[in-house]
Parts: sequence; C-alpha cells; structure tokens
Amino acid sequence: MNSISDNDLILYFYKDGLDAGRIAEIDAALHATPDLRERYSRLQHMLGAVDAAPAIEADADFTARIWQRLERRIEQSAPHAQGGWRNRLRELLQSLLSPRFAVAATCMLALAVGIGYYAGHSSATQEASVRESAMAARVLDAYVADHLRATEGLLLTASNSDSTNLRAGNADLAATLADSNRLYASAAARAGNTRLADFLRQLEPVLIELANQPADASVESVEGLRDYLRKTDLLFQVRATQARMEPAGKHKT
Amino acid sequence: MATDEERWVDRARRGDRNAFRRLVETHARALFAVCARITRDATLAEDAVQEALFNAWRHLPDFDGRASFRTWLHRIAVNAALEQMRRGARHEAAAPPTRDENDDDDFLLQHGSDEPGPEQHALGSEISRHVETNLARMTVLERTAFLLRHTEGHSIEEIAQTLSLNISASKQAIFRAVRKLRGALQPLR
Repeated sequence: MNSISDNDLILYFYKDGLDAGRIAEIDAALHATPDLRERYSRLQHMLGAVDAAPAIEADADFTARIWQRLERRIEQSAPHAQGGWRNRLRELLQSLLSPRFAVAATCMLALAVGIGYYAGHSSATQEASVRESAMAARVLDAYVADHLRATEGLLLTASNSDSTNLRAGNADLAATLADSNRLYASAAARAGNTRLADFLRQLEPVLIELANQPADASVESVEGLRDYLRKTDLLFQVRATQARMEPAGKHKT
Repeated sequence: MATDEERWVDRARRGDRNAFRRLVETHARALFAVCARITRDATLAEDAVQEALFNAWRHLPDFDGRASFRTWLHRIAVNAALEQMRRGARHEAAAPPTRDENDDDDFLLQHGSDEPGPEQHALGSEISRHVETNLARMTVLERTAFLLRHTEGHSIEEIAQTLSLNISASKQAIFRAVRKLRGALQPLR
C-alpha cells in the first residue's frame, strides 16, 4: 500500500510517534497486503540484526575502578561543595574550562568576573540582591548575544560555503562554540533562565555535528544541513534569541 | 513506600557517599553499555561514565524526581558520551550519505528476498560485522538517536529531550540511521 511509507513502518515497529488510528490502519494494511508484509518483514530482519551484533562489555573490575577514581574526585571537590551557589558555579566553570578552548575561557572568565563583581556588592537587603541578579543576567545576556552572533555566522558559512578551507576553519570554530555553548547553557540554567538554557541545549548537537564534519563534506551533507536549518527554523531562532539578548540600543553593523 | 533506590538517592543528595556508592554499583555497568554503544570505544565509554557519575554527584541536589533516577542518570551519561566523542574522536567522521539516505523515498522495496535463508543464518557473524560497519557510517547524532530508541527503549519524546532536538528532528535522525543500516544486509544478498 503506497500510502504507508517506510518511515511509517519504522515508527510502527517501535509503536512510537504514531497515533492509535494510524497504528490500526497499518495493522489492517499489513493483514491485507502481502507486499507490505514483505516490506515490514525486511525491516524486522534488518533491525533484528542490530540486536544480534555483539556489545562492548565492561571488564570485571570496571565498577570498582570507576568508584575508586570517583571517590578521589568527590574527595577533592568536597570543600567547594559547601560554598553556596557562587562557589558551585565557579567550580562548574573551572571544571569545564581548558586551555584548548581559549575563546570559551576568555568569555566565561569575563562572565565569572562580571557575576563576581556584581555579586560582590551584595548586601543584606533583598532589594540589593534583586538588583545584583538583574545585572548579572544582563552580563550573561551580552555574552550570549555575542555567542549567538558567532553561531549565526557559523551556520550561514556551513550551509552556504563550498570552500573546503572555510569548512575546515568552521569545524574548529564549531568546536570552540560548542564549548562556550555548554558553559552558557549551564550559566543560564543556574541563573534560572530555563528558556535560554533550553534553546542553547538545542543548539549543541548541531554545533557538535559541525565540529565533526569533515572539510570535504559531500554536497548531500551540506544540503542535509540546509534542509535541517530550514525545517527547524534554527537560524531564525538564533537571530530572534540574539535580538532579545542584545543590550538596548546595540545594533548589528 | 520508598524503594531502596529512592532511599539511597535521598541519602546521597544529603552527601552520603556510601549511598552514592550503592547507586554507582547498581548503574555503572548499564551506563557503560549505553556509552559504549554511542562511542564504540571502551576507553571513551569508561571516561564518559566517570564524567557522568561525577556530574550526577555534583548535581544530585538538582534531581527533582520527576523522571526516574535511572532515566536522569542515563540522560547525563548520553551527554557525557557525546562530549567524549566531540573531544576525543573528532577524527571519527561518518561516511558521507548517499543520495538514497537523504531521500524520503521508501527503500524496503529495493531489497531482494525478505527472509534470511540458511546461508545467511550461517553468516551471522558476517551480518554482525556489517551492522558494526553501518553503525559506524552514521553520524554521532543519528547513531545516538537510533540506539536510544532501538536498544535503550527510550521514546522519541525522551530522545528529543535528551538530545535537545525537536520531535521531528529526532524522528528524522532515526529514519536516516535505519536507512544507513540497510547496507548491513545488502552484501549478503
């Protein structure tokens, strides 16, 4: 039956992503149509082969080894864990930073300094605390806006450029931006900005894909990215979020 | 009434390392299995589990119990495995997709016989090898989405949350992965 695609059969196989009516339709069609049964049988056979493939097994000492290393790290991190949210944020940033990712380090150091500066004015009054939070949020917004501008450029280059050199440079930039992105997402989540944190997390797999994309990526691969950007409106979302983050009066040149 | 695991989680959240050790002993091997499927490398998988469990310890106070502890932990592990892939295996480039893999056209009709014959049963190890080869042809995102659905039994909605994708993009990743798998059987026909 032509109206039932392979994609429908894949979803039917997992009984996921289809409503009950569609599942009943496919049930009936499978019962009535030998050709469809044959197609479905091929799919089952193919997916069954995956189950038969051997998995990589952990060795016998795995759990003990993991705990031994974990306990050491927990021990080392213990003094910081008692220091409240600022220490926890600092600890998170420190653990994620590495010399390899200089851009992310610079941005986040500035962010940490910015937050520390504003937090340094903390007083006992709630009003002051609210003011500090708002200022820290503005610092974060400004950095995220810059980050999103760079991400927009990256996506445009990746989807439009045919230059191998540009794509190689893009992969390096994507790796750096993926790092920054993770840090900003964590900072946003900790600041309570779940909407921004969710959006940044949505960007991460795309940045990781681009970081791993070979310079000689095929035409089909580039077209796949274009399709993905078009279908998800990702570029639009990046621009819209960036516009929301921009400090008032700041315009793109 | 709280289960043993819920009690361990509660105690671990309050800083009880022995309780956390119990949780590690319960879940570490399953986490390794997930990470190994994604990274396809035992060393990277072990590093991912280590990072995941350390992150879990640090963020236990944020665990709100809306998802099960296992689901929460697996989500952290998947992200840790993806991070390991990005850091440690940038050289791992998925094979470029063929035109067919990018199409929405049906592909199941293009095969020959549907049922495995005796020869193919005899060639089970060869099929396994081909499956491995074709899993390697997937992008990390495709492989992760597919394995979470097929092997881990996560719903598409859960996969979308774990990978920070929308539902449609999660489905497409799974469809592309399955299309790439068809090569696992073709050489045997």
